[in-house]
Amino acid sequence: MLADRPPFEDMYREYLGRIYAYVRAQVGGSADAEDITAQVFMNAYQAYARFETRNTTPAAWLFRIARNATLDHFRAQGRRDRLRRTIERQPLAEEDPAHQAEERIQYRALMTKVAQLPERQREAISLRHSGLSFDEVGGLLGCSEDAAKMLYHRALKALREVAQKEGV
Amino acid sequence: MSDPDEELELQALQRQLDDAFETTRPRTGFEDELWLRMQSSRAAPSRLRDALSGFFQVIREVPAVPAAAVAALLVVVIGVGVVALSGVGRSGPTGGASTAGSANLSAPDAGQLYAGNFGRVPTPVFNNGAKSSSSTQPATAQAAAGYPGPVQLTWTGKFDLTISTALVFRYKEPSTNDADQFASALGAVLRTRGDGFLGSYQASDYTLKVRGTVQTPPSSPAYFIFSSLSMPPVEAAGATQQDLADIFLAQHSLQPQWSYTVAIDSSSDPVKVRYQRQFQAPGYGAAYLVDVNGERYGLEVDLSANRPVLASGPLPVSIDAADYKIVSSNDAIRAALAFSSPAQSAPATPIPSVQLNQAELVYVLVPAGNHSFYEPAFMFSGKFQANNQTYVQRILVPAVDPSQRAP
Repeated sequence: MLADRPPFEDMYREYLGRIYAYVRAQVGGSADAEDITAQVFMNAYQAYARFETRNTTPAAWLFRIARNATLDHFRAQGRRDRLRRTIERQPLAEEDPAHQAEERIQYRALMTKVAQLPERQREAISLRHSGLSFDEVGGLLGCSEDAAKMLYHRALKALREVAQKEGV
Repeated sequence: MSDPDEELELQALQRQLDDAFETTRPRTGFEDELWLRMQSSRAAPSRLRDALSGFFQVIREVPAVPAAAVAALLVVVIGVGVVALSGVGRSGPTGGASTAGSANLSAPDAGQLYAGNFGRVPTPVFNNGAKSSSSTQPATAQAAAGYPGPVQLTWTGKFDLTISTALVFRYKEPSTNDADQFASALGAVLRTRGDGFLGSYQASDYTLKVRGTVQTPPSSPAYFIFSSLSMPPVEAAGATQQDLADIFLAQHSLQPQWSYTVAIDSSSDPVKVRYQRQFQAPGYGAAYLVDVNGERYGLEVDLSANRPVLASGPLPVSIDAADYKIVSSNDAIRAALAFSSPAQSAPATPIPSVQLNQAELVYVLVPAGNHSFYEPAFMFSGKFQANNQTYVQRILVPAVDPSQRAP
């Protein structure tokens, strides 16, 4: 209902950081995360008149937009990377050592590891630790609450193995 | 999960993840920048990206185009050597600064002059070619793509210029200290430097950025105030948009200290209140400051629902002034008409004839390294019809006598 909708500015203030963290965990880089976060809120801003709280929570609505924007980013990036490799006939460039050193800061490194998980595990971890309930996570990922819980715990174990292996 | 150690490890990892997600936040300033982008884009979503890429050229939006559009065509002329070619302006002495002065841009006009001579001043460079414009159109007029082809120019107006000299203003490029002092007076604290700015500063409810002169396109040293989410709307019952902008500027001691007229663009959100700057030309009157396209500019306050979202204006700098010989009105007209397209015996398409019927003295910024100049120029304009649209053509020519300009 229109009357139940919070002012967009309040929602923006409350969720900007969380959406950014979610996106950052998906894409692994701050510049891409900013671009995608900006796109998320611009899309949300323009679609806000159509947002109805009786159908979904503001968090679920925003994270759905964020998830779609992130998937769009990966699709576009995949096309760009394939095109570039075709043109250059070169493999993907390795990480800049200085950048890698910077990423060793504990939380950044952990977020990077999250970004390396398989897509659904990555999303389960990111959505859950962005403050969504398992019910909301399941809704976004198209599965039940119980399935979301199982997916999350598998993702957690996978992340632990990666972290232990690489000393994060 | 049967292994207690494993369970503890997973719990620890969950806590780490909580902390990581809780502490992963965008850089400082991102929140304000994005909010500004969204507000600026509300009426024109397709221009969102342009709004940020043009971050510090200020957001200037062009309204949509209706069917019965009036389009603006700006043909602005590179004036190098034009007056010289017309065989005028050779009689004056070289280095003709006969009056000198010192004034501060914070004073209404350069009234109190001291001795000084800038020598030959650099020649302004204007946009050469057709461009569209909207801000000087009537409220119902809209912009369209500029007229792309050649035109034939004639002069049908009246331009009796009674002055033979005009002031040239010179300022020294502001330093980081100047920017810091300006920010300090506003109560803003330095955060960063770089990215083309003298400084980026933070106040309680806005971010301030200060920039020096931009060479291309020429743009004055300027400040930009980006309101944060905590910036309150200006509350004043019955106030007009200009009243709100005036109040905001007064609250921050940023009222223009120079002559101006106000133009309000309420065609989109945010509403733009523009204080168009004027220089006083002794014996002539007020002359607008215009950019290379002939657009007036000065200080701008953008308001969205009574809330200031952006304010940008010229950074106060100390300037000197000196009197320079200028070309006559007849010579200026000849120089403008010299930009007619060459006659063709059998052009593929008819060349529109443009009757220039208005002329005015204006000022233009001429960047020149450590010192830059505000120089007088003549702007001629006239409307014409082509392709079922009305265009406005402007031609800018330098006013300072060629003998007193650097080639």
